[in-house]
Order: sequence, then C-alpha cells, then structure tokens
Amino acid sequence: MTINVKQDWKDIVHRCFRCGYCKFTFEYSDFNCPSYKKHRFETYSTGGRMWLIYGIINGDLQWSQNLANVLYSCSTCGNCMENCRFDKFNDFLVDIIEAARAEAVKNGFCPEKQKALLERTTNTEMFNPYGEPNSDNEELKKKYNLPDKAEWVYFIGCTSNYRQKNLRDATLRFLKKINLDFTLIDEHCCTSPIIRTGQIEPVKEFMNYNIDKIKEVGATKVITSCAGCCRTLKVDFAKQGVNHDLEIYHTSELVKRFLDEGKIMFTSEFNKTVTYHDPCHIGRHMGLYEEPRDVYKQIPGIKFVEMGRNRENAWCCGAGGGVKIGYPDWAVEISKERLEEAKETGATILSSTCPFCRTNLSDANDKFNLGLEVIDLIEILDQLEIKVNE
Amino acid sequence: MSNAEVLSKLEQIVGKDFASNNQEDLFIYSQDPGVSHPRPVDYVVMPETVEEVQQIVRFANDKKIPIVPMGGGMTLSGLVIPIKGGIVLDMKRMDKIIEINETSRYALIEAGVTSGKLIAHLREKYPDLQAPYPDAPPSITIAGNALIHGSGYLSQKYGDHGAMINSLEVVLPNGEVCKVGSCAISNYWFTRGPIPDLVGLFTSAFGTMGIVTKISIKLFPKPKLRDIVIGLIKELNTIPGLILNLTKTDIPEDLMIALAEKPDFMKGYAILLLYITGDSQDELDSKTKILKKIYRKNKARFMKLPPRYYDVFLEQPQFAAKAADFRKGGGFEYVGSFMPLGKIPEAIEKARDISLKYGIVPTQVSRIIGRGHNVMFAASYSFNRADPEDMERARNALHETNKMVLELGGIPWKAERDGQKLIIEKMDPNYKMLFKTIRNILDPNGIMNPGNWEV
Ligand SMILES: Cc1cc2nc3c(=O)[nH]c(=O)nc-3n(C[C@H](O)[C@H](O)[C@H](O)COP(=O)(O)OP(=O)(O)OC[C@H]3O[C@@H](n4cnc5c(N)ncnc54)[C@H](O)[C@@H]3O)c2cc1C
Ligand code: SF4
Ligand code: SF4
Repeated sequence: MTINVKQDWKDIVHRCFRCGYCKFTFEYSDFNCPSYKKHRFETYSTGGRMWLIYGIINGDLQWSQNLANVLYSCSTCGNCMENCRFDKFNDFLVDIIEAARAEAVKNGFCPEKQKALLERTTNTEMFNPYGEPNSDNEELKKKYNLPDKAEWVYFIGCTSNYRQKNLRDATLRFLKKINLDFTLIDEHCCTSPIIRTGQIEPVKEFMNYNIDKIKEVGATKVITSCAGCCRTLKVDFAKQGVNHDLEIYHTSELVKRFLDEGKIMFTSEFNKTVTYHDPCHIGRHMGLYEEPRDVYKQIPGIKFVEMGRNRENAWCCGAGGGVKIGYPDWAVEISKERLEEAKETGATILSSTCPFCRTNLSDANDKFNLGLEVIDLIEILDQLEIKVNE
Repeated sequence: MSNAEVLSKLEQIVGKDFASNNQEDLFIYSQDPGVSHPRPVDYVVMPETVEEVQQIVRFANDKKIPIVPMGGGMTLSGLVIPIKGGIVLDMKRMDKIIEINETSRYALIEAGVTSGKLIAHLREKYPDLQAPYPDAPPSITIAGNALIHGSGYLSQKYGDHGAMINSLEVVLPNGEVCKVGSCAISNYWFTRGPIPDLVGLFTSAFGTMGIVTKISIKLFPKPKLRDIVIGLIKELNTIPGLILNLTKTDIPEDLMIALAEKPDFMKGYAILLLYITGDSQDELDSKTKILKKIYRKNKARFMKLPPRYYDVFLEQPQFAAKAADFRKGGGFEYVGSFMPLGKIPEAIEKARDISLKYGIVPTQVSRIIGRGHNVMFAASYSFNRADPEDMERARNALHETNKMVLELGGIPWKAERDGQKLIIEKMDPNYKMLFKTIRNILDPNGIMNPGNWEV
C-alpha cells in the first residue's frame, strides 16, 4: 500500500508513538534501521523522523539544512514498515519520508549532492543520474541483433547501462539464449533516484516518455534487471497517476516463470556456496522474496544458504534513497555489515538481483577487502548451459 | 562559558558525532511520547564508556549544568525531559552485555542495554533463562525500568523489578565511580547484602542521585510452556479474596486484572488474566483444574480464550503500546501506582468514573506484585496528539487519578513532576529531611535531574 501524492499524509504523521519497535529486527536481535544504527540519536530513528515531520507540519520546527539532512539520512529500506506495529500507519512510513523530502525540495533544502541527481537526469544530453551521455541503445540492438518491434522490452536501467555493464550484458545474453522476443528502447531514467529524493517535479514527463517508447515498439511486456526500475514501473507509475497496461517483470520473476512452465532447464552445474541479498526495492517494497530463491535453488550443484536476516528482515545494502550519492562512506559501511553477515554463512558468493545493490556491495567488498564474490543472479545464470524447450 | 564552548568540550569527551545542540536533536529530546508539555534541552550527549560519563559529570558539576540520564525515555511521564534544561545523557550506546552468570542466575549489563537486546540474547544463547521485562516496547532499557521499580510478567512471583537488582555501578554527582551491592566486595554481582543496602538510594530517584552505568539483574528459570487461564469477574469486591486464594497456591506466574472495552469479551467485566507455566501439558492441565475450582468458589467464571486472541495475550512482552492507537492519535499515558490489594475495587470504580468524566474509554490494568503484597494499578488515558484539547483532557484525568490514588492510600509510580508534588505534600517531614540531606551531600550543586523530587 502506498500513499499517492494527493493523499494527505499530513493527517496521519502524528500517529507515531515514538515507541521504537521500528528500530529492531523482528526478534530484536539487532537494530534494523541503518540510520538509527549509525547515528544513535533518537532523531535518526523512524519515530524521530516522524516527529520532526510533524513538528514541521504544525509549525514547531522550521526547515534547515540539518533537518533536511536527517530526512535524507534514510535509505528508504522499508525495515521500519515491517516492524512498526501500527497497522494502516506502518504501510506509509517511507511514503511519508519521501513526501517530506518533496517538501524539503520545495522549500529549497534538498542537499547539494542529491540535487545533482536531478540536474543530470534532466540534462537533455544525459537523461540519467550518472551524468553519462545518453545511450539510445542502437549499438546494443545491432550487437545483439534485436528487432525494431517485439513483444517484450528489456528496460536496462541507468545503473546497468552506465555502471554495471557486465550485468546488462549477462541479461542480454541470457534473454537471447532463451529466445525471448525482445528489444531495447531509447530509454530515459525510470525516475527512481529522483522520486526517492523528493525531486518529483519532472517525474510524470519521464514516465510518459518511457511508456510511449515501449508502446512504439509494439511491446506489451517489460523486463527489468534492476530492483529500483521494477518498483518504479510497477508501483510508482500508478502512484503518480501514470497508468499503463504493460506487464512488468523482474528478471527473477521471468526466469522463475519460464522454469515453472518448463520452457527452460539448467543443464550445467554451478558448484559454489551462494547467499542471497534481498534488494529492498523488490523485497520489502514489492514482496518478491521467493521468486529469486526458487531460481537459485533450481541451479544444479549450488549450495544455497541464508543469512540470519533475510526476506522481510533483510539488512539493507545502504545504497538506496539517495544515501549512496549523499553519504558514500556511510553507504559502504552499511554494505560492509551485510558482507560480514554473508561471510558468516560460509558462502563465497553474495548474490543479489539489483545492479545498485551490486555496486554498493562490491564497493564495500573492495574497500574493506572482504574477499567475497559479489554477482547478480543473472550473471550466475549467464554461466550455465540452458536447455530451451520451444 | 558559551554554548559553543560547552558543546566543544562535550564533543572532546564523546566525539563529534555523539554530542549535539542541533535544533532537531533538541526538539526530539525535549518531549516524550506521553502528554507532558515539551521543555527545553540544551545538549544531547551519548557516552560510550564509564570514563566518558565521569568526564561529563565532572565537567557539568564544575559548570553547574544539569544532567538528565535517559534510557529508553519511555516512562511517558516526562521523567527524561529536563525541568531545568541542561544535558540529556542518552545512555543507549552503553549497551554491552558483560556477563550472564548461569549458576548465580544474573545478567551483568551496561545501563543502555535495551530489553529487546537482552530478550534476543537470552532467547538465542540461554533459552532456559528469562529476565524481568516490562510490557513496554523493546527500546526501553533494563536499567531504566528496574531503577523506577518497574514490574512485569515475573512480578507476581518474584516482586517488582527494583527488588531484582543485585548490584549497581554508579557515577556519583562528583564524578567518582561507586559500586553498590555485592560487587563492592566480591567479583560476583549476585546479591545486595549483607551490607548496608544502598541500592535503594538510586531506585525511583529518577536520576537525582547519580548515573547508573552497570546493573546486575536477577534471571529466572524459563519453563517450556505458558498458557493463560481467564476469569470473568462480575463483582469487583470479590477481587481481593480471589487474589488471596489464588496466590495461596504456587500456581500463577503473572496475574493481572484488566478493564477494557476491547476485545468485545472484555466489555462489562473485570477480567482476570492469569498466566501459568510448566514443563508439560499435563502440568498445565492440572494447574488449570485447580484454578477453575478457585474461580468457581470466588464467584468468577472461567473463560476459554478465543483462539484468535492467543498470539495477542501470550506475546512476551505484550504489545501494550497499542493503547497509543486507540484514538488513532499516537498517544496514551497512564497513572501507574502502587496500591494496597484491598483498595483495588474502589480504585477501579473511581478510575472508571474519571475516564467517563473526561470522555475517555476506561482502560485499566492491575498487576499483582509478590503474591498480593502490592498491586501495580494503572489507569490509562489515550489521546490524540494532533488535538490539544484532547491532550489537555488526558492531563486533567491523569492529575485527578494521581489525587485519587493518594486518597486511597496508594502511591503514584514513576510520577511526573506534578504527581511528585502531590506525593511530597503527603510525605513524612523527616523522610523529606533525610532525603534532602543525603541528596545535598551527594549533589551539592544540584546538577542531577533538578526539579524532580524537590522536597
Ligand atoms: C506501552 C508501554 C507499556 C509499558 N509497560 C510497562 C510494564 O509492563 N511495566 C513497567 O514497569 N513499565 C511499563 N512501562 C513504563 C516504562 O516504559 C518502563 O518502565 C520503562 O522500562 C522505563 O525504562 P526506560 O529505559 O524507558 O527509562 P527512562 O524513561 O529512560 O528513565 C526512567 C527514569 O530513570 C532514570 N534513568 C534512566 N537511566 C538511568 C541511569 N542509567 N542512571 C540513573 N537514572 C537513570 C531517568 O532519568 C528517569 O527518571 C510501559 C511503557 C509503555 C510506553
Ligand atoms: S514508526 Fe511505528 S514503531 Fe516506529 S516509533 Fe513510530 S509508531 Fe513506533
Ligand atoms: S526506511 Fe530504513 S533507513 Fe529509513 S527510517 Fe525506515 S528503517 Fe530507517
């Protein structure tokens, strides 16, 4: 459940009791709010944020850069939504934080680094938050011999297209291998980074553009390899009132469906111990917990192990909500904790299903020399032999 | 000394990240989830070690800056909102579990260990042991709770949580570290005596005597099974007799009388929530049989808990914070009190009248402590944080309840400043004199949570 922008979140903020259930994992084994765990002042707990936001609404507090910083020191991981005990309020915690960020933006208090995301994304040479020249993906279409019209569009997403090309290429190879009728479009950013940082002004225009492009190639189905794009296309488009009749699949959902339908079978082995990091955007935000797990478990030879905190209880990688760009050192500290948890399982591979998680987890792996292999599920599948049943 | 200089000194002690006078931090620490009006805070500081606490206290003493120690800040009665400004010392970075002694059954922990942390630790590593927890959220501290004479689901059997303190380590207002209880003599933090018992100086003192940095709390064996045996009481005056008969047996582990409108089966009755424990179903069944007989003899009716409420009533600790959502307004506060058992029927009636007078649905709970030696009687008032008039109604109801409690011979528990004033009005003058003398000796500059217990 989400609050759409018109719904008045201001009417429910005061329901926060500041009781702190939201700081913990289900079984209280640890703090699960990365922000509270780092800062430790009550201010940085979810309850603290709710009370600050309420303070702004009722005029007890004035906007300041520091205050905005507290609101932006949240990876929008959604752990608080799982652990807050107040029904029909807990669903809205992250929405409220994002809505308050939009107010910060309106009042001129968006932090500089997060602002840069918007500047780059709206730059007509770029249309992506990384500041790279926009790729119309024509080269890739040629390289992979993709048609102009197809049933499916692979929406690559900016992180895969500009930072995690391995993951993008593995996805392209995989989709070719399974003979999916798909193509690429000249996509613009899905708008996840600017929505999460409250910079919502141009969002609808981007959304409509992407939908038009997908429709132009005759596609009715979209596949994303990015958890952030997936959530945005599936959840945020509707929230923003941009409705579409496209079917949106995360790669893990597509693979699971093809395995279930017997369309594909893995025929070679992957003899390694793997643990799975649930990306917040498809996990807590969308409830996709079992689909990726089902795929890993069907890989011959794999030893699949769980970390202590998994599924709804998973520790965030620390990249989301503008934290990676706003607080890069802290972002990798959050990932470091995840990698250490992964090591405790005896796994040699920490795998996820999101290029943004992959980036941050890899950065921490390198920075702290933790010696794990960090790869996406699709990169594992890319190494397998696959039998395709037409 | 300017504010900036004070802050800089505090930052030198605890590090830049853990001392603040940012408006956001001061705003948050100037209020608690209860109904108290906000009061100004000057600095918020989070120490990590005893040495840091000592340095902060020495500095504050030197500069005469008030200090308010805070655990979870969840008493609801504004006890961690400074009355005279100064430093709020949030203790929750001091969160080490130092020792679990299985033989002498105690946990030696730092003062900032939350109940959530201890619950998880024991559940994982010592599943046969349990600590005294309140039905408060997991973010409260074990020390904060024991230091205010809290109570919980072991209290009927073993007493209030203040009684479960074996030993303390305290930073006194002059910055010296003092050990009280057996740890003053032995490496074992296993008991309070047999020396003059100074632990009492620090309990329900609300931080006016020193800052507790370590606490040893008793642990208890944890039976494998737990169940609830509900009794419906129609006539309130039967309650004391029923409780005495029940506590004659060794059966009830936790024993509460609740009055609430929800769930529906609780409407119109005083409900006896009696928890039993055991290591086999047979044991539970035979205990239930005995209890049913006692219920019958004392005009109470046994009721089987509808299965859909099992999780709600058997959760440990219970989700009592749900009262904050009764009016969808994010708030409730209660007058808790220590009340003689014989006065419970009257207290229930009177608190119900007060609730109705202020248009608040009556919600009360009485928890038996130590086989009826004492009862923690609580009358709870939910309010809507977004409605100032509703909050004022709750404040008035609380104040009236404090007065009612004292009139009946009870004593408001963890009382807010106004409640403390009512208690002090009734206090024996020589008790006041003794308390004042000790306090002046320990804290001549009056830096420790000043404004509380102003005798
Ligand atoms: C929903 C709900 C349910 C509750 N249920 C119960 C219950 O079942 N039983 C019960 O007993 N209570 C209950 N409470 C009341 C209260 O929350 C608890 O007693 C709680 O444990 C208090 O601990 P704290 O850490 O929040 O203390 P705080 O509020 O932080 O502190 C309490 C007092 O102790 C002082 N103090 C704190 N730490 C130190 C220290 N280190 N040194 C010196 N002084 C210190 C503070 O200055 C303050 O005066 C409940 C509260 C709520 C909100
Ligand atoms: S967000 Fe929910 S759990 Fe967290 S403090 Fe507020 S009411 Fe409590
Ligand atoms: S979304 Fe995550 S980081 Fe943000 S307040 Fe909730 S738990 Fe904390």
